[in-house]
Amino acid sequence: MLGKLMKYEWKATWKLLLAANLLTVVMTFLAAWMVHIMGSSSASNMVDFVAVMVIITYVGSMFAVYVGTAIYLIHRFYTSTYGDQGYLLHTLPVDTHHIIIAKVLVSAIWVLINTVLIYLSVIFLFASSEDFLVSMMEGMMDAITFLGAEKISVFTVVMTVIAYLFSLFARVLKVGACISLGQLSSNYKLMLSFAWYVGIYLVERIFQGVYFGLRLAFSRKDSYVSTFSHYYDNQWETTLLAAIISCVVFYTLTWYVMDRKLNLD
Amino acid sequence: MAPVVQCMGLTKTYGRKIALNQVNLNLERGRIIGLLGPNGSGKTTLIKIMNGLLKPTAGEVLINGQRPGIETKLRISYLPERTYLQPGMKVIELVQYFLDFYPDFRVDRAYDMLARLQIPPQERLKNLSKGTKEKVQLIMVMSRDADLYILDEPIAGVDPAARDYILHTIVNNYNRCGSILLSTHLIADVEGVLDEVVFIKYGSIVLQAGAEQIRQNEHKSVDRFFREVFAC
Repeated sequence: MLGKLMKYEWKATWKLLLAANLLTVVMTFLAAWMVHIMGSSSASNMVDFVAVMVIITYVGSMFAVYVGTAIYLIHRFYTSTYGDQGYLLHTLPVDTHHIIIAKVLVSAIWVLINTVLIYLSVIFLFASSEDFLVSMMEGMMDAITFLGAEKISVFTVVMTVIAYLFSLFARVLKVGACISLGQLSSNYKLMLSFAWYVGIYLVERIFQGVYFGLRLAFSRKDSYVSTFSHYYDNQWETTLLAAIISCVVFYTLTWYVMDRKLNLD
Repeated sequence: MAPVVQCMGLTKTYGRKIALNQVNLNLERGRIIGLLGPNGSGKTTLIKIMNGLLKPTAGEVLINGQRPGIETKLRISYLPERTYLQPGMKVIELVQYFLDFYPDFRVDRAYDMLARLQIPPQERLKNLSKGTKEKVQLIMVMSRDADLYILDEPIAGVDPAARDYILHTIVNNYNRCGSILLSTHLIADVEGVLDEVVFIKYGSIVLQAGAEQIRQNEHKSVDRFFREVFAC
């Protein structure tokens, strides 16, 4: 049944999100063209002005698509799970685990596609101008030097990507858990979901602050700058561990509410 | 054979408000049962608990001897009081959806009923009128060979002609070995099809009897008797 649930989840979301991502591609080409025009010596002030406006629109559209995708997926999760459509979903003869996995996987895939596309878009934009490309490469080299080039291995890169993926699942599950926890009340469910999100966010930041403080306190390095540069030493281990713990906690909370405390109005 | 539904001390509270109060109820197989009560009497709460959409505060409900779960959802065909369809779906996709998830779904029966109502399978649900959407939903529910059909207010808010169609569809398409639990406060419209009635008031069952038995013993229609029992 998991495959069927995923199939229908994908069918319900692909049209709008594909259109949004196509907008990203179109705006990237348009912005890259403008960057190219700006770089040419013959461009007039008027052309420069139009180009700048297009690039501002490009930045705005990237932001809008990223935020819009998140809002759409949150809305989809809420309406299909705890809204009217939940009456159909929760009377299907399927395991609650399958419902959660299907929704989280499809949402995470869309967020991943969206994120990768935005990264590629920015790289493409920089690559469209020699000056931009050079400054980007210099920036990257500076960052690598700061972090310590000797620490960056294939293993580190792979583990960082895996840690990112788990973080992505954790973010999606966190939203699902907050929406679910909001359903425990009879009234103000959406407001409570938001309150849960803010509360969990604050707890996460406190943990992060305490963790960094402890690392700083127990660091063998002799200066703050040196310590900060070593902050990223094996950072993937911490990220991965935190993401896995978050995934387990948020998944369990979502499952508990959906399976044991379902309360459809 | 065990009753298709068994409620034992079923209680549901929302804060201080008691929606269901110690409900004990057995529903037998092969019968059309009216769950009758005024608005706010607890009909929908009871139905939601049977479908696993709400958890009881106390007590237990068993469907085919099992607690609400995957097995009971395989055997219950549920029509809620609201539209639960995805607006962007086409009718044909909805038929496939039910076919994918319910092994007892009869696709030929669904298309037959859709054809009689001249509902195009390629039409998107968002393009259909509210009444037609409700009929599509009813067709999906009645196209299953379930043990228990739970229909929550299927004729509320529709015109008399549509009510006739809905009742006709229900009576002619249900699995004869199964039961129908039909919740409504429009007694006069459904009285003719009911074998049995359950009166619910303030979250408690006040009467469970055969429809014919009420007419013989009370010398009045179920509708008339209902009005007396629930007189304000």
